[in-house]
Amino acid sequence: MGTNEKRIALLGWSLQAIEAADKLNKPFVVVGPPDYQEFADKNEITFVPWKFERINEKSDELYRQLDSLNVKTAVPIYEETVEWAGALNARLMNDPRIFNRSLLLRDKGLMKRKAQMAGIRVGVFEEAYSKEDVHRFLKRVNEALIKIDGDLNDPIHVKPLNKAGAVGHRMITESREIDEMEDQEFPCLMESHLDGQEFSCEAFIHDGKVQFLNITEYVQLGHSNFVPASPSLEEWRPMIKDEIEKLVDAFEIKYGVIHPEYFISADGKLHFGEVAARVPGGHIFELIEKAYGFSAFQAQILCSDPDTTEEELRAFFPEEVTSAIGYAASLMVYPKVNVIEKLNVPEKLKNDPYFEKHDMFIPVNSKVAERVGFGNHYGTIFFFGDDSERIRSLLKEYQEYDFYL
Amino acid sequence: MSGTIELYKQKFENALHALEQAKPFAKSMYQTNVFQTAIDLAANEQGLHFLYEQASRFDGAGVFNGGPWEDPSKMQPPLVGGSLKLKGVNSIVELLSELRILAIAKGDYDHEAISPEEARSFLNEVLALNLDLLFPPETEEARLDTGEHIERAQRLFRFLGDELSFNAIAGKIVSEIDRLAVQRPIMTNRIEKMIQMARHMMEADIDENQKSALAGYTRALTFPSPLSREYQSLRDYRIKLKDLASEDLKKEAEAFAESMISTGLVSPHHAVFVRFINRAEADLLTIALELDETGTAGYNANRELVRDLIQISIWPETRQSIYGLGRMLNRGVLTQDHLLPSIRRLFELNIHPDVKKALMKPEFEQNGMTANGVLLAGTISVLGQPLGVGQGLNPTCQSARAISLWSQHGTGQLLEYIARAARDNDIDITFEGETIHSSSVEGGVADEIHQELDSVSVVLVPHLDKIYNEMMKKTLLRGEDGHKWVNPEFYGEWIPKGFSNVIDPLTLGVKNYGSFVRLFYATHHPDFNEGYELIYPNPVGIFITNVHGKLLGLHAVSIQRIEKDQAGEYRIYFYNPNNDSGQNWGQGIEPSVQGNGEAEGESSLPFQEFVSRMYAFHYNPYEQGELFLVDDSLVEEAEQLAKDSWGKDYTWL
Repeated sequence: MGTNEKRIALLGWSLQAIEAADKLNKPFVVVGPPDYQEFADKNEITFVPWKFERINEKSDELYRQLDSLNVKTAVPIYEETVEWAGALNARLMNDPRIFNRSLLLRDKGLMKRKAQMAGIRVGVFEEAYSKEDVHRFLKRVNEALIKIDGDLNDPIHVKPLNKAGAVGHRMITESREIDEMEDQEFPCLMESHLDGQEFSCEAFIHDGKVQFLNITEYVQLGHSNFVPASPSLEEWRPMIKDEIEKLVDAFEIKYGVIHPEYFISADGKLHFGEVAARVPGGHIFELIEKAYGFSAFQAQILCSDPDTTEEELRAFFPEEVTSAIGYAASLMVYPKVNVIEKLNVPEKLKNDPYFEKHDMFIPVNSKVAERVGFGNHYGTIFFFGDDSERIRSLLKEYQEYDFYL
Repeated sequence: MSGTIELYKQKFENALHALEQAKPFAKSMYQTNVFQTAIDLAANEQGLHFLYEQASRFDGAGVFNGGPWEDPSKMQPPLVGGSLKLKGVNSIVELLSELRILAIAKGDYDHEAISPEEARSFLNEVLALNLDLLFPPETEEARLDTGEHIERAQRLFRFLGDELSFNAIAGKIVSEIDRLAVQRPIMTNRIEKMIQMARHMMEADIDENQKSALAGYTRALTFPSPLSREYQSLRDYRIKLKDLASEDLKKEAEAFAESMISTGLVSPHHAVFVRFINRAEADLLTIALELDETGTAGYNANRELVRDLIQISIWPETRQSIYGLGRMLNRGVLTQDHLLPSIRRLFELNIHPDVKKALMKPEFEQNGMTANGVLLAGTISVLGQPLGVGQGLNPTCQSARAISLWSQHGTGQLLEYIARAARDNDIDITFEGETIHSSSVEGGVADEIHQELDSVSVVLVPHLDKIYNEMMKKTLLRGEDGHKWVNPEFYGEWIPKGFSNVIDPLTLGVKNYGSFVRLFYATHHPDFNEGYELIYPNPVGIFITNVHGKLLGLHAVSIQRIEKDQAGEYRIYFYNPNNDSGQNWGQGIEPSVQGNGEAEGESSLPFQEFVSRMYAFHYNPYEQGELFLVDDSLVEEAEQLAKDSWGKDYTWL
């Protein structure tokens, strides 16, 4: 590595991202929690310790440290580092608006409003500052749906304004569920419920153009998904691509990866859920690598770097859908018991040709932590195979299975 | 099935290959899949064998990177069984580590830090310590308790057993039993368990010496006499005894005594026999209890008391107290007239209901024993084997040390405490003029007392522990180690008032280590202390270190005596309340329990080696030599040993 070459800064500690950056053979630096300093030193990883969760007025210090390390661009790995990347890149690239754009991605209320203003189809939404707001929203949404007394309510969703994915997500049908909410959950975003096929996209953007668009099909939100999407969903790709481009333009995204979520309703309309600009959850990057053979982490880094050339990108990305060698799926497993006594992985699963691997062990602490929202999964099962329908039925079958006894 | 195993082999190979390719920082991401695929392979013999064939690649690939298994030279045999029996990921990592060490032992893999001999000896010890995995007990309970990981561990041990020589394992077991038994602990359950387990070894092809040693131990626990071998049920045996001629009874007595003296273990038949002759032919007791001249004299002067003691307290369940009874008589305890009423008092003492509950087990009651009998049996053992008192699994070395000391030098006081605690469920000790009642104090050093203890400890330790803890609390703010004041009042007037500790209580660093060593030499080493002998055991604090000299924790032992061994070298003979003194402390410091003039229950180390592990001791300031006469080289040597071991964990001021 030439010492004069400008570096990439990875914001957040992720061994997968570090490995990908290392293999790219481009100089990089990792900004992460101070706990990792020793490990980084031992393994000769250039490291800047930083506490992202502390909002402080010393962000300038971080900028100066990175600048002195010859950093040209910052790549956010986790939700919590997105606005840090915005702030840093605004300074590094001399464009203050980059920071403001990143804030759009960190406030779901702002994000929805921006999408709506750009003519993107969204559900009904509002910010809530108290339980009264939620009661009123539930009532008004159902009034709008012409429900009369005795009809079952249509659910609404509430979620934190700035948390990743399903963290803190609640689905509310009855007013007593509102009373279970705690004061610190406010303010939050409320949305009407949308039925339909749910999926996410991972769009790698360079110079404002979509370089590669992956569609991840959700079998059940928070539990199972696979890459690429099945042919019946891929049919919608042209329309999805248009929507993505609309989103990229509206949010003025120039470099990096975005991970929006959409629904296709029964009438064939695309509804925007939300969008993030970081590594998606659900092991999606791993699935992309398994299906397409390229490292999505490397793709993110390359697309985040304005200096990456057209040729490099063309050489890096394969053709969408057709170049996939199969369907890669992940099933996230949550214990259904309070105390884990035994691990029960059936031979039938292990001998299934579509079964790839799993990472379940009996945890050291056998008491299962209480789940908040979708909570953290305890293990993941990976599948790989040629037939998306078979993949879907395996995911459904084993989602019901009790792996932890 | 074979198709499946081929698939598993392929998946493991892929996982191991991916791990090999990964950079050191990324290893942890690839280890999981190696462990998962290894679990599938280790589920049968064929797969386990395949894993073994790959074992030489494990270290290089980084299978153990970043975990406690990384450096095989730091592995400790006693920890292996525990991790194999855990349900989580550790059990498979442990299994892979054993396969790696087996590969070293068999010369299939060269490791720079461990020789094949060391690897072999490590595995032999692992097997010897985990005979329950090598020979799974065939009880219903054990069956219910198994899980996939236990079966896997058993499969590993069968594999290791096949690959290693049973002979070497048997040798380890015998030396382990020897080492424990020679210390003559009161509680023999651990020894008995090992002997039970080792019985399976006798069917394997092992050396005659090992076989006969194991047979001897097995006999000692079961049928050591001619008649007991013939009539193995206690009932038949007892009925047959009645018909035995005098000379045959004598033979029985001799056989029992011989077995008991050579092993320290007592068979249930011995108890039946002693109860029988106690009434029918009491003269044989001198043989059955192996009494010497003092013992015989004590017995003859107190025949009625001994008869009652046996009648009330000696049963098959309390058989070990026969050994204690013989030793107690030989120590001349019953020749001290003032003790007799204190012992007799225990016969009919009204025992507090809570204490009764702690003492009694269901089988005791079924067989007609009383709480007084159980307590007496324990008292006999403690008075007969003062150095056999053990702390069990409790962090109560202080209390065990106190009971041992009183049994030797404060018998009257000990008997008083036993009576007080058993009857009133309370004892009191005065500290600096203030009386501390155990019953009005909350909390001791131990949160909870494990009950696998002799019955005197069962009764006393909860009280002593609380009082000791309370005394220490009262010294907390004095800016000096509280033991200085607590020990003389807790143990009694046997403890000299001078006290020295290497740890500076304010900075927690090591201060004036040189003068600490000099002072110990000048007060304890016969060449430097003006010839003052040690009169009573000296409670000292030591750093316990592991085989690599790494500090494990603080511990309390008592110096019993300081004398020259047969080679003319001064040794410190000490009592260790953990009843397992022969541990390896690193730097070549390995306390011995026999062969260097140790009495039953004593361990010993050369003077200098012991000094290097000490952190506190008491001394008599009126009986000390000149510090400056102690050779500088002795001080420097101790300091070097200290700095290279436990001293690494401290700042040296």
